[in-house]
Amino acid sequence: MTTSATIPAGERPVGVDIQESEQNRAVIEALEADNENSSVIHMPGLVRVTSPGRLVLRRETVEERLGREWETHEFQLAIISYFGHIKEWDDDEIVIAWDH
Amino acid sequence: MAVKAITEYKFPSRSRQELYGDAMLVHMWWTNNPWFCAAACFPMPKAMTWGDFWNAAVVPFFSEDPDWSDSTEFTFTLHGKSLDPKPEDTLEGLGIWHKSVIGMTSK
Amino acid sequence: MTIAPRAPRKLSMKDRYSALTRDLDWTPSYVTEDELYPYTKFEGITIHDWSKWEDPFRLTVDAYTKYQAEKDKRLYAVLDGFAQSQGHLSLTDASYLNAMKLFIQGVSPLEYQAHRHFAYLGRHLNGPGPRFASLCQSLDEIRHIQTEVHTLSNYNKYYDGFHSFPHMHDRVWYLSVPKSFFDDAVSSGPFEFLIAIGFSFEYLLTNLLFVPFMSGASFNGDLPTMTFGFSAQSDESRHMTLGLEAIKFLLEQDEKNVPIVQHWIDKWFWRGYRVTALIAQMLDYMLPRKVMSWKEAFNLYFEQQMLGGLFVDLAYYGITPPKFVEQAAEEKEILSHQVYWTLYQFSHAAAFSTSIPTDEHMEWLSANYAKFDELYRPLWEKEKRNVAAGGRHFARGLPELCTVCQIPMLFTEPGDPTTLCQRWSTFEDEHFNFCSDGCKNIFDHEPEKYVQAWLPVHQIFQGNCGGATIPDVLAWYKMTPNDGGEYLGSRDNKNWLAWHDMAEKTGGN
Repeated sequence: MTTSATIPAGERPVGVDIQESEQNRAVIEALEADNENSSVIHMPGLVRVTSPGRLVLRRETVEERLGREWETHEFQLAIISYFGHIKEWDDDEIVIAWDH
Repeated sequence: MAVKAITEYKFPSRSRQELYGDAMLVHMWWTNNPWFCAAACFPMPKAMTWGDFWNAAVVPFFSEDPDWSDSTEFTFTLHGKSLDPKPEDTLEGLGIWHKSVIGMTSK
Repeated sequence: MTIAPRAPRKLSMKDRYSALTRDLDWTPSYVTEDELYPYTKFEGITIHDWSKWEDPFRLTVDAYTKYQAEKDKRLYAVLDGFAQSQGHLSLTDASYLNAMKLFIQGVSPLEYQAHRHFAYLGRHLNGPGPRFASLCQSLDEIRHIQTEVHTLSNYNKYYDGFHSFPHMHDRVWYLSVPKSFFDDAVSSGPFEFLIAIGFSFEYLLTNLLFVPFMSGASFNGDLPTMTFGFSAQSDESRHMTLGLEAIKFLLEQDEKNVPIVQHWIDKWFWRGYRVTALIAQMLDYMLPRKVMSWKEAFNLYFEQQMLGGLFVDLAYYGITPPKFVEQAAEEKEILSHQVYWTLYQFSHAAAFSTSIPTDEHMEWLSANYAKFDELYRPLWEKEKRNVAAGGRHFARGLPELCTVCQIPMLFTEPGDPTTLCQRWSTFEDEHFNFCSDGCKNIFDHEPEKYVQAWLPVHQIFQGNCGGATIPDVLAWYKMTPNDGGEYLGSRDNKNWLAWHDMAEKTGGN
């Protein structure tokens, strides 16, 4: 059985599952761009992005790739599941991380 | 421990023996035969003899195993204690109680 | 899609959310707070400050309706396209739909139950933040049952087993497993319900429930189910957040809450885990094209993400991983095989069908499970000989049931996969049986609750289910002879072959 009792919050992976679609490609690319240690796995119908300790999605990075305005609420159309805590969700960014 | 509730919390069991009249539920568990996924449950009169129980319930159920043989010998337990039933013993007389589980182990 | 460019807004997301949840709330003046919210004290939970509840989604009514409408539009476009193009013919096999029959019979009615109970929380929690989050979840859940019914109704035109699902949910033996699970939750207090459904089910176990179903749909040509699944899951991430915020809020409000919450975690992990037994066999046996094994799914979604991630976080509050979790982890090697073997021998009384795994399928099982060849292949080989001789393994009676999870007592002793696990307790001179230490522990904490269990086998023997014979009971279930039993030779199987045979004969140029 896996236990990670000694791994601090900054290193334990957090992640998000996103529907694989044309629209969401910009979101996935933005996640990769803004989280340098992230990794991406493709599963049937979905893409899983994980990162040690923290994952951030920035509105501006998505907009650059999408070529149009994008509000962070739109992320609700993309997300399937996540693990970690949603620490922040405001007009400019969404942050998933562990607390402790 | 008790249920935390907004008022008194007391309801009768939905499977108490009196709901079955003169019968009770008896479970038969063939302990060393994985063909049957679980013990079987039979509603049987308390006064029924072991011989009748065996022929009316146990054999029809367990002979569904293609390897069943009428000559197989079994040892019996009742919740860990050994049980030595004779055909003329009644279920109640053998100390079998409502919802108890009889283990049968083929030799 | 057409989402209007962002108009300049006077308020930020944070301010709009605060205006909705805080500024529209008021302090009662002509009744006391306890009279207005009468159900948030009796469970022994202490709340000092409801305003500390955070909803990271900061959802407001305009954003909620806008995005939910968009999700529905996308889904219904897919449903129409699939139906218009006879998409059902492109499934991997008609037997795939057994997984969906189980889903609509067992899971969809739980969405409706969730809708009702979150509506209750939306009225009865003291804080405006959790009330609004509960209201949104209540609306989500009614959307889920509706979209699931609409999605699967297309298959109901062509395949057996989909009709009468709400009726079956209330009556049928294997459906009493999910039904009693949810009944247990809705008959608890509001905080226990939040930990039961919001936290344990939505956060701990939802990935095990939904993601395998939806990936399975994706892999087996079931575009509509995949789309409704992902559409529902996008709401699910909000539900997970509500569950997680609930637990953090309770733990942070008062130390006295910690042992109460710990017991709920122990109880509801085990209750939910037992329900996922149905998913385990679905993944390993019902999907013609496999996605991942149950063992792999349990390791990824539960052991790595929850034990390795979440519970390390919760340790800060003094919370430990759920009781008996090590038994669940050990069971991942054997669970699906035991459950499918059980469904196989009782599928004459089910609204789905089963069949012996093909040789190829058994190779996959053998490659994924170290114990398959030793413990389970011999059973299937014996059944093959049985079938060759004109038999078919259908149980000629009814099984012993666990009083708590209501599953036939098919589970084995920890450390010994060849001996069935038997546990029991005596309460007020009555004997009760359990499948595991986990279920016994739950009963022993609240025997007064579980003595009321509506156990299908016992109800049949009490004469409450339409009659004493199997045909009587099946009629009372509203099952037809085409709904269950053996898949090979079933009406679904024959139709499938005929439709595809026709394509071969008439297709091409």
